[in-house]
Amino acid sequence: MQKKKICMVGDFSVGKTSLTQKFVNNVFSDKYLTTIGVKIDTAIVNDTKLIVWDVAGRDSLSPINASYLVGASGVVLVADGTRASTVSGLVDIWQTVEKRIGIVPVVVAMNKADLEDWHIDDESRAFFEKQAWDIFPTSAKVGDNVEKVFKKLVERIQSQDN
Amino acid sequence: MSKIEKPHQAEELRQIEELRRIIFGANADELAALKQRIEDVESRARDVSEVLAPAIRNTDTSALVSSLQGPVSLSLKQAIRSEPEEYAEILYPVMAPSIRRAISQAISSLLITINRTVESATSVKGLRTRIQSLRTGVPYGELALRESLLYRVENVHLIDRESGMQISEVTVDDIDNLDGDAVSAMFSAIQNFVQDSFSRDRKARLTDFKVGDHTVWVAHGPKLMLACVIHGDAPEGLKDDLYDALYKIRTNYAIQIAGFDGNIDQFDGIESLLQPLMQLQIRDGDSAVSSSIQKNSIPFIIVGLALLYFGYLWFVHHNKLSTVEYYLKQAPGIAATDVYWESGKLVIEGLKDPDATVPYGALEAYDIDRQLLEFKTIPFRSLEVDMELQRFRNELILPAGVYLSVRDSVIHLYGEAPIKWLNANDARIRQLAADNRLTIMGLSASLESVSDLLRSNFAIQDLNRIRMSSNTRDNLLVVEVGGTFEPDTLALVSALFAGSRWVVVTAKKPI
Repeated sequence: MQKKKICMVGDFSVGKTSLTQKFVNNVFSDKYLTTIGVKIDTAIVNDTKLIVWDVAGRDSLSPINASYLVGASGVVLVADGTRASTVSGLVDIWQTVEKRIGIVPVVVAMNKADLEDWHIDDESRAFFEKQAWDIFPTSAKVGDNVEKVFKKLVERIQSQDN
Repeated sequence: MSKIEKPHQAEELRQIEELRRIIFGANADELAALKQRIEDVESRARDVSEVLAPAIRNTDTSALVSSLQGPVSLSLKQAIRSEPEEYAEILYPVMAPSIRRAISQAISSLLITINRTVESATSVKGLRTRIQSLRTGVPYGELALRESLLYRVENVHLIDRESGMQISEVTVDDIDNLDGDAVSAMFSAIQNFVQDSFSRDRKARLTDFKVGDHTVWVAHGPKLMLACVIHGDAPEGLKDDLYDALYKIRTNYAIQIAGFDGNIDQFDGIESLLQPLMQLQIRDGDSAVSSSIQKNSIPFIIVGLALLYFGYLWFVHHNKLSTVEYYLKQAPGIAATDVYWESGKLVIEGLKDPDATVPYGALEAYDIDRQLLEFKTIPFRSLEVDMELQRFRNELILPAGVYLSVRDSVIHLYGEAPIKWLNANDARIRQLAADNRLTIMGLSASLESVSDLLRSNFAIQDLNRIRMSSNTRDNLLVVEVGGTFEPDTLALVSALFAGSRWVVVTAKKPI
């Protein structure tokens, strides 16, 4: 069986862990996020076993621990569609990712799409489109598009491998 | 169509031959010989055989091995398939010691396991473990094994250092394992975390950590790390084994490791290199057992006493049963087919003559009360001699002078009986004799009883004329009553013994 490491990255409290919980096989408790800054889960998509590294969110005091990104075959960038700063912040986060592991397949999960004030600003959308990333309005609360995010990322990883 | 050479063509051929002789001269013959050697297969084979051995010695070994691997492997397979017995015989000296050793080790392990199971099942520690098992839901065997282990390697994870992805894993069967991929990734994350948090030296590695009874040792290679989860205290030598295994893996799978992209299928057979790391060591048997016996002597004594008590009960029960069986076998008229204990009673099944006598007296001497016996028997009439004797005695109520005895398994009724008793029981005695259940060869009426009968019926002057004697008639002892009487008296005598076969009247009228 093929195995792939993927990372969930984004700002603090954008819903990375909630998105992951909706889809994966939970192995460890969430407390690891606050202790060592990452939580590992697994899931199987299209005969590929995903090792999902749910990396603790970036905030004003602590950046993303980039060492957890090493060896990842793909990345899910997660933002909170109701907080513009988390959307625009993905640009900085991507730069951190790219600097550490180079260009890898990316899918953007624009979370909390079930809320009314959810939106993507034009500048960010333009950046995402320029990168040719797939953007999914997701809702960890009701489960919208969660599965699609992971499936699309696996597809992109597989097409890159081929 | 025949080929006809023209004169100028023949001339050309001759000139070419001349030219060849000028150019090659004396070497022409050698060339011809060489040509012949090349064209001759046998000759070429001889040439190759001469140079083959030195050529193999001088060639690039790896290339030669690689080239020969396929055909040699195929040849070996075919040869073994066609002559398996011969190859088994060839390999026997090599394999037999290993097989013997493996079997011996397996038997030793089994004996150790049995010993430990017996020991743990009968000790206080064993009982405590059972209670703990019931309380926690963890199987007893697992808890007992943990307690008797000095150390045991429970999991070995081979991990790609860069991605934290698990390449392979071996694990013991009797514990619940988390997802190995997640655990391996977490090992890797912890490695990164510790490195980032506490060490400025980028080359420093987390090599071991301890949690409760578990220790994790991590061996690091350039691309891989080998994490080994150990329960208990393992010897330091295990670390060397970890690095040896890592070295072998690096050597055997160098290409796959360099290009690892998550495809673990290309690491086929790698478990065989990890499996030897699944080591365990049981606590020292002698000291453990001896201390355990001292500590646990009370339960052993209790168990021993209980065994003695139950053994005594079993002996008493069994003894009573055997005694009853023995005496019933001797008792006439009882055929016991089964004797067994049921609800505190000795049940006897079989056949029982209603006239049979149960030997209660004899059984009571062995503390077997008659209330203890319960007969579930079918009634039948026993024709055993003893039973017949008993039955005849009860039925005939033998008078004085008449006896029943057994000779050569035949019942004899004999003696001199009162004539009245004989007459009263004649029909029954006659029937028994006719059925061959007894013989009456020695039975007769007593002269005294016949005389008494006559005396009570006749006057003294008549009695003086009566003569009595014993005689045998038709195999029967009879009393003959003779004499000479007046017709009236004769009629009276005849009437007195009419119908009796035991007295025959031979008296006559006066002439």
